[in-house]
Amino acid sequence: MTLDQKRIVIAVLAIFFLLSLILVQSIEVARRYEEVGLVRANVAVPATSRNCVDCHGQSTPGIIDHWKGSTHASTGVGCVDCHQARDGDADGFLHYGRLIATVVTPRDCSRCHQQVFEEFSRSHHAAAGNILASLDNFLAETVEGARMPFDPHSPTPGMAVDQVNGFASAFSGCQQCHGSKVALRSTSGGMVTADDLAPDANGLPTNAEALGRVLRDENGKPVLHSGTWPNTGIGRLNLDGSRGSCSACHSRHDFSPRRARQPENCGKCHLGPDHPQKEIYEESKHGVAYRDLREQMNLDARDWVLGRDYSQAPTCASCHMSGNLRNDGRITHDPGERISWSNRPPVSLVMDTDQNHAIVTATDPAERRRLTVDTAEAKRSRMKNVCSHCHTPDYVNSFYRQYDDFVILYNEKFAKPGQAIMASLEQQGLLTPTQFDEKIEWTWFYLWHHEGRRARHGVSMMAPDYTHWHGMFEVAERFYAELVPEARHLAAEAGARGQGAAARAVNQVIDGILARPEHAWFEQGADEAAQRIREAMREKYGQTR
Amino acid sequence: MNAVVAWLKDRLPVDVDSLRELTNEPVPHHLKRWWFAIGGTPAYLFVVQVATGILLAVYYESSTRTAYESVRYITEEAAFGWYLRGLHKWGATLMIAAVILHQMRVYFTGAYRKPRELNWMVGMTLLMSTLMLGFTGYSLVYEQLSFWGATVAANLTGSVPVVGGFLREMLLGGESYGRQTLPRFFILHAAVLPVLLILLLGIHIAILRIQGVTDFRFESEKDEEQKPFNFWPDHAYTEIVIGLILMILLSTLATVFPVTMGPKADPLVTPEVIKPEWFFYVAFRWLKLFSGTFAILSTGFIVFVMFAWPFIDAWIRRKTRFTEASVWIGIFAVFSIIGLTVWEALVEH
Amino acid sequence: MPEVEKSNAESRRSTLKRLAGYLMGGSLVAAYGNLAAVMARYLYPARPEQRSFLFVTDVASLGAGESSLYTTPSGAPVNVTRRGAGDSVEDFLALSSVCPHLGCQVHWEPQNDRFFCPCHNGVFTPEGVATEGPPADAGQSLSQFPLKIENGLLFIEVAIPPPEESET
Repeated sequence: MTLDQKRIVIAVLAIFFLLSLILVQSIEVARRYEEVGLVRANVAVPATSRNCVDCHGQSTPGIIDHWKGSTHASTGVGCVDCHQARDGDADGFLHYGRLIATVVTPRDCSRCHQQVFEEFSRSHHAAAGNILASLDNFLAETVEGARMPFDPHSPTPGMAVDQVNGFASAFSGCQQCHGSKVALRSTSGGMVTADDLAPDANGLPTNAEALGRVLRDENGKPVLHSGTWPNTGIGRLNLDGSRGSCSACHSRHDFSPRRARQPENCGKCHLGPDHPQKEIYEESKHGVAYRDLREQMNLDARDWVLGRDYSQAPTCASCHMSGNLRNDGRITHDPGERISWSNRPPVSLVMDTDQNHAIVTATDPAERRRLTVDTAEAKRSRMKNVCSHCHTPDYVNSFYRQYDDFVILYNEKFAKPGQAIMASLEQQGLLTPTQFDEKIEWTWFYLWHHEGRRARHGVSMMAPDYTHWHGMFEVAERFYAELVPEARHLAAEAGARGQGAAARAVNQVIDGILARPEHAWFEQGADEAAQRIREAMREKYGQTR
Repeated sequence: MNAVVAWLKDRLPVDVDSLRELTNEPVPHHLKRWWFAIGGTPAYLFVVQVATGILLAVYYESSTRTAYESVRYITEEAAFGWYLRGLHKWGATLMIAAVILHQMRVYFTGAYRKPRELNWMVGMTLLMSTLMLGFTGYSLVYEQLSFWGATVAANLTGSVPVVGGFLREMLLGGESYGRQTLPRFFILHAAVLPVLLILLLGIHIAILRIQGVTDFRFESEKDEEQKPFNFWPDHAYTEIVIGLILMILLSTLATVFPVTMGPKADPLVTPEVIKPEWFFYVAFRWLKLFSGTFAILSTGFIVFVMFAWPFIDAWIRRKTRFTEASVWIGIFAVFSIIGLTVWEALVEH
Repeated sequence: MPEVEKSNAESRRSTLKRLAGYLMGGSLVAAYGNLAAVMARYLYPARPEQRSFLFVTDVASLGAGESSLYTTPSGAPVNVTRRGAGDSVEDFLALSSVCPHLGCQVHWEPQNDRFFCPCHNGVFTPEGVATEGPPADAGQSLSQFPLKIENGLLFIEVAIPPPEESET
């Protein structure tokens, strides 16, 4: 090879070497970009919360780990920003130099999340604590428990038991979902709640006497009543007068939006024999699709908008709260905005709501028009906005027809008649004033509170088994096989006791109901129907059974 | 320019012309064949190793607590760290391969014969030093195999008769692998052995220049074509070409087969399979075939034979008429080495 | 004319020779120079900090003309002032409260509408520009931090210190 040839060879090889280096540099650049995307920015502990993190990193490291994974941490919102208390707060105390409170209420969250607070506060979720004045509450506090502590009847080996806490079922059962009335222990051994403290519009107590009764430990920390805290019930009645708990859905301390988008989150409370929404969703096609495709549903997206970030299946959040393409991706923290039937009461109600977000119960159409601020139709349209991402208008409207028909059937065939029967028993004095001390009261409760709700929830979310076998079938059985016979029995007993008029009145109501065409089969027989079925079977299958 | 040269000449009385003549050695014609130029290859790769090694040493920390993390930093975070570490790792493999190939070339062309026996032994020392560099280098990463490989090697050293225990303690900086071990390996790898290598290389090239490159005649060549040619620029260009090919090869290897982080050394957990680096497979397999003292002594004996080969070869040629004995012995040795290496590579234990 | 042709051929050859030489030299310099650049980039210390926007306060809590002291995660004090009554980010200003002269803490004097450093009587305008005292002589001003407002909440851009080294 001549010298010149060698020079050319060197030049060519050097260029190849240069190209390989360029490749190396492009690899390095790509690697950097990837790294920046994958690696979360280091979490910087805000200066005000430095002490908290240092100490609690040792004592409760899990809390610090959770917080570090939260959006709060990456935007510099630390412990003090949420836990800070003001002078005069009932539950504020000095903790290593900072005035803080243990319980963070929606009012505290509203310092930064004002709009969400407003939506949530007018929602039915925030009203969940109203159960404390209801039948369910009576069940928990009196039937299952006791409104006063009582003595144990024999020793518990291995544990010294002074008194039995009759509220335990209410505290650990109903109130864990519905929310407790947060209480501080008082110096006299009782409780101090928001009712006593009478907080003003800013959440500060106005009743100095009640404030003075608050029991404090040796560090000056107010003692929270163990029955009412820990509690993250969604309708919790807080000491500052606000209602609710944001951490019911946005678990602390990572406040994960991802978790709140998943049905399992709602399913902590929305499940069970009286409102099995979780089980119903899992049965439905929506739930089946979700279970299959959840990994691809972009749950970690910042704003989780149906139609843009995901479309595989709706979850609870998708229909009831999340944003979608048709509403500009706007989330609402008031699920009631999109619901047109209230299936909670014994008889379902159409959700025309007035300016206080309460359901309009007036029957006169003109009166209804006057009072209604947001119609059920408007709510239904908002819901249809979600459905229409995947379903055509005919499909959606026909579904709603099926839904309405079912609810009306339930209302008219079983709910209103049942109500009427119970009302007449009450009116005629054949029931004691105490709830749940007679079998028929349980029967009626099961019918509307458990089975009736199951049926209505099942039809609302397309779960045929819950609609029928766990639903209307059991409603019918409860009605025909238990409610009616028990009512007749009570009437008969009354008659035997000499309350003939009462007995006749009740029987009249029952007879009137059972004479209706839809109930006629029960006492008059449905022989024709049976006959028709037998003939059809013979034709089709040659059977005679 | 001349003023600068004159200024320098006043202070450094060097005869430039004779210097130029001295360095521009006439290169024998056979070196126009490229495979004769393999000798420059390990030298060039050594330069690459020194350059990349210095860069790696800027971020490497030689304490057992932080070594692994510092290597991870280089590999995963430092800009181009992965590339430079890759160059260094593949450079090591190629350099050892190049040294072995060069030695094979010298062996099979009989260029070790009188008067070049000394240079052969210097070369053997260079080989041993390069292998030691390879061994100490990998130990520094402090992965599982680094730790356990070093432990096994130290134990093998310990079984050398008489001096074994002493050598082992010196190597480990104590009774067993501890805090003192890694710094010793680091000094060996980054200071002692490189300096030794440079000195030996200098001696190796000096002897080569003094004695002149062995002249070869190929049967196919006519006499007149065998004129020697200039080192500069001819042979220098050849070396540059080789250098570039090596850089492209290294760059490609570092990119296509990048170096990753293995599991960190855990003195409490012995991995299922402990193997040294590939260049020690033959010795490892040999030591496992025989046990205890015989294994060590036979290995030592073989190394001694390799060192003393020029003299053994001369003796064979004197005493027998088998002039090509070395070639056949060499072929046998190469196949044995390859066989043992492959065998070790294929099995787990 | 064979001599001219010969010399033309020769000069052509020598031009090609020179070209080959330049090409060789140039590409060698380019390739090895690039390698040197890669090595230099490797040696350059990694960027010590990431920057990120962190929460300061909700906009409603800071009144017009009011100033609040914010401490960055690495401990640097920052004066966050709301100048106008508006709700846009231009109504807010985040200035380091470290005097550029010798590092004392400056504080905001609302009655004089200025920042004042008590060490050597340095005075700064509300925008942080020095007007009196040693900092003014040196033409210095208080360093500024970028701000942004989202959903009625004020965020400041600060350097996030790297995590502490873990001992394993």
